Amino acid sequence: MMLNILIDDKKIEAEEGKNLLQACLDNGIYIPNLCHVKDMAHPQASCRLCFVEIEGEKKPVPSCSVTVREGMRVKTDTPSVRRLQRSAFHLLLSRHFIECKVCPANRKCELQKIAKFLKVGLKSNYPLLLPKAVLETGKQETDESHPIFNYYPNRCVLCGLCIHVCRTTHGIALLTFAKRGIDTVISFYGEEDVSRLPGDKCLACVNICPVSAITLKSLS
Amino acid sequence: MAHEEILSEQEAIEKDIRSRVAAFEKARGNLIPILQMIQEKQAYLPPEAINTVAAHLEIPVCEVYGVATFYNQFRFHPPGRHPVKVCMGTACHVKAGDVILENFERKLEIREGQTTPDREFSIERVACVGCCALAPVALIGDTVHGHMAPSKVEGLLLRIRIEKEKAEREKVRGER
Amino acid sequence: MTETLHQCWTAIREEAKARRNAFKEAAVPKIHIGMATCGIASGAMETKKAFEDALAEQNIEARIHTVGCAGHCYAEPVVVIDHPASGFPPIFYHQVTAGKAKMLTNLFLKEGDPRFEHVYGATEINELIPSVMEFPRFNQEKRIIMEKCGRIDPEDIHEYIAEGGYETLVKVLELPPEQVIAEIEKSGLRGRGGAGFPTGRKWALARRAHGENKIVICNADEGDPGAYMDRTILESNPHQILEGLMICAYTVGARKALIYVRAEYPLAVKLVTKAIEQAKELKLAGGNILGTGFDLDISVFQGSGAFVCGEETALIQSIEGQRGMPLHRPPYPVEKGLGGEPTVINNVKTLASVPPILEHGADWYRSIGTENSPGTAIFSVVGDVLHAGLVEIPMGVSLRTLIFDICGGVPNKKKFKAVQIGGPSGGCLPEHFLDTPIDFDSLTAAGAMMGSGGMVVMNEDACVVNVSRFFLDFTQKESCGKCTFCRIGTCHLLGILDRLTKGEGREGDIESLESLSEDIKDGSLCGLGKTAPNPVLTSIRYFRDEYEAHIREKKCPGKMCRPLTAFYIDLDKCARGCDACVGCCPVDAVFTTRNRKKGIDQALCVKCGECMVACPPQYDAVRKVSPPELAPVIERPATKESHP
Ligand SMILES: Cc1cc2nc3c(=O)[nH]c(=O)nc-3n(C[C@H](O)[C@H](O)[C@H](O)COP(=O)(O)O)c2cc1C
Ligand code: SF4
Ligand code: SF4
Ligand code: FES
Ligand code: FES
Repeated sequence: MMLNILIDDKKIEAEEGKNLLQACLDNGIYIPNLCHVKDMAHPQASCRLCFVEIEGEKKPVPSCSVTVREGMRVKTDTPSVRRLQRSAFHLLLSRHFIECKVCPANRKCELQKIAKFLKVGLKSNYPLLLPKAVLETGKQETDESHPIFNYYPNRCVLCGLCIHVCRTTHGIALLTFAKRGIDTVISFYGEEDVSRLPGDKCLACVNICPVSAITLKSLS
Repeated sequence: MAHEEILSEQEAIEKDIRSRVAAFEKARGNLIPILQMIQEKQAYLPPEAINTVAAHLEIPVCEVYGVATFYNQFRFHPPGRHPVKVCMGTACHVKAGDVILENFERKLEIREGQTTPDREFSIERVACVGCCALAPVALIGDTVHGHMAPSKVEGLLLRIRIEKEKAEREKVRGER
Repeated sequence: MTETLHQCWTAIREEAKARRNAFKEAAVPKIHIGMATCGIASGAMETKKAFEDALAEQNIEARIHTVGCAGHCYAEPVVVIDHPASGFPPIFYHQVTAGKAKMLTNLFLKEGDPRFEHVYGATEINELIPSVMEFPRFNQEKRIIMEKCGRIDPEDIHEYIAEGGYETLVKVLELPPEQVIAEIEKSGLRGRGGAGFPTGRKWALARRAHGENKIVICNADEGDPGAYMDRTILESNPHQILEGLMICAYTVGARKALIYVRAEYPLAVKLVTKAIEQAKELKLAGGNILGTGFDLDISVFQGSGAFVCGEETALIQSIEGQRGMPLHRPPYPVEKGLGGEPTVINNVKTLASVPPILEHGADWYRSIGTENSPGTAIFSVVGDVLHAGLVEIPMGVSLRTLIFDICGGVPNKKKFKAVQIGGPSGGCLPEHFLDTPIDFDSLTAAGAMMGSGGMVVMNEDACVVNVSRFFLDFTQKESCGKCTFCRIGTCHLLGILDRLTKGEGREGDIESLESLSEDIKDGSLCGLGKTAPNPVLTSIRYFRDEYEAHIREKKCPGKMCRPLTAFYIDLDKCARGCDACVGCCPVDAVFTTRNRKKGIDQALCVKCGECMVACPPQYDAVRKVSPPELAPVIERPATKESHP
């Protein structure tokens, strides 16, 4: 069944059971997002960028975790929505090593897109929270432990899409979140045996990464 | 102890662990209990153990690693023979537990999370050991030392070193 | 069915009572020793051994009865000696070291002299010795949850049964579950895990939810670094929790129950496991409980030490063998929890409240506490109070009564400054909130919260900026790292607080703290992130001047932030050549001046405060100042005298 919802001043139709963020995106209404991917069973709701205000709710909510309801009235551009989005975005940037010129993601990078949309620059409001060595040398860290891929922890925004896509492609995920809190990284731990890997035939994680934090070794 | 003896002891432990792991049902929910069992036996999680667990549960090795690194309980390096744990709970903080921690660090010349080169001591911080009324508190091994003061640190370490020397002397005497 | 139930039960209860009576009526003296973690940490093991040795040596017949902890942590090791032949009532002794144990055996047990100078009080009102029941620490408490803690042996199910335990379960097994839930709803019981969600409503939702394999979980993860009541209850009376858990399982229709205890609590794990085994042996748990056809499989899951795993969805993730990262709610666990099945998660204290409520009725429970927060609350009161420990009080009692009357107030003639309530999620309240009644809603309104029940009393020498930094350091380290605000935002909060406590604060820092805190609060995914800024926000709200002093004057009013303080020796007071401070300094910063007085080398000093403690009170020459520039400069004499 199709439901009618009002996004800002635009009336859209959305299929029952769909999540609000997807419904907006399907109708050409952009809401910043990093950790959302179509058809994820349980939204991760971790990037905290997709906030909207829904009539009847006191505070902004992440739209990826809301199921559409008939007659729902949604605002995507209120001051409190923008404030949270900009704040989250600046926080992410404070952990992100900016090197656009040489970055493979340049021009297709989600961070660039979001910065433009939110009308903010790529310089964080917060002091950079990068490892000392990175700040001193101006060179970012690289995890080269994997036989095929390189991983750049100072680029990664921990959206988790690589893990998700690996799991949906192969039934199991050959990469994972490791450690905790601010130290969280993506890890390929134990995957040094090339014969077990799909190898460069499957580049799902490389392709889905919004910031090119995983790249093919042979290309870098 | 002879080198081979240590090796065979190590092998025996590993064998024991493999058989204990095998006794667990192959269910994902057993991952944490298995890791806890290994850590209890070996005081840390060596890389082989992580592989053993992954093979048994038929999940990727990285998955085991990802879970193990999430939790405070699991360590990946062997602790010292006398693990020093300094309480950094609320009550101990208010009573300057950080000064105690610093003193252990200074006297042992290692930082929190590290082990001395001779493997005798390691230092870690713990949250409330449950005797806040004795704050600040430190544990050496399983013994709780309450009302700690910087000046008590040296005495405690000294006592352990003296006891060790005594034990060694007696051993030498016994062997003669 | 009911007939077998009653037959089985009567047999069990009579056996338990017979055992208790035999113990009670035995003419020999009984020595009750508190042996929970806090007691053991204070030396209860040595005390027990000393009693055993002394009894053997003196050839005295007596029974040693190991019990749990009654919450009097300031008095550990606690021993109660019941020596009927002496004519004295049972006597409570505090801080019974091995030496005292030997002395009491020789003098009291053997010769009948209770050594009045060591007596804390009698445990019952009598004509010979003042009773502890006359002390506010005892008589102003109201014990429902901890009623049996410290009185019974946690390792013996019969003791719990003899005190009326499991009677309620037996009663409930014959009632329709809806009626039990209705009674709990009527009692107004609210979850003691922090948020205060109505327990009856949770159970009703779970009962209505569809699922073949419903599960109930007791949340004993207790992650607050300053609270330990859940552990104490587990170690002192595990059966009351089990009984509550079983009642919960029966009413919601679950056949599986889990107790999630953190692995850092080895004694608690051991005692609950034992309790479950004993309950199974008596057919009070397991298959076909007491012949009623009700099956309940109870097991223990050990949490691996992550504060966030106290959060319901993260707790479930960790049981499933995943990283303990919270999930977005809804769906709530009562609809879809462990393995996708309806799951009830309740705190230890919530479950332990259930048997007494059903035993005495909802109206009785409602008569205790306040309208919206009936019943009792347990706090672990620590920090600068005289009688630190666990206190169970009726809701509605004021903070002042709790801190000053019951816990004896701030010792050493110091002034009260603030109280931090609810641990890392809670807030810091100043003196003018002391008359706030303690209940869920009043504390939240004041900016603190019930949270875990951790309560830290701070005197004038504590620094609220420093304590906020402490909590942020904790939450930052414990953030699961999933969502942006909590993972990165708490790091920036900590970074600013860190600078403040080091005297590197800048204008605008307070405003940055406030605005980032608001964002983290509104933007985070789970309760950890949403509440993490509370200590910062409340301390700024009530102690803004202290934040300003740190920034503008580089001064710590509580003289707690070490980089902002200095120690010096008042030369007018220093006794020539007393040397007490020289030996105690861990870094050899104390030197001798030309006229044999002492000075402190500021470059070496680590500000541990040892010399201040060591300086004999009659001289009292060591001073602590903030900012450090206030310390007069005393030159270290060039050579020889400093180092022999
Ligand atoms: C970060 C965090 C930590 C928590 N820690 C605990 C805990 O240690 N023990 C507990 O019972 N509840 C804890 N809770 C609350 C639980 O999520 C849950 O609300 C509670 O166990 C429900 O039980 P109740 O209804 O009996 O209070 C925590 C919540 C959060 C967000
Ligand atoms: S590597 Fe890329 S896809 Fe994976 S979590 Fe990081 S940013 Fe996301
Ligand atoms: S708020 Fe913190 S603990 Fe909770 S999900 Fe986000 S990162 Fe994890
Ligand atoms: S897309 Fe909704 S939180 Fe990331
Ligand atoms: S805070 Fe250290 S023992 Fe509780």
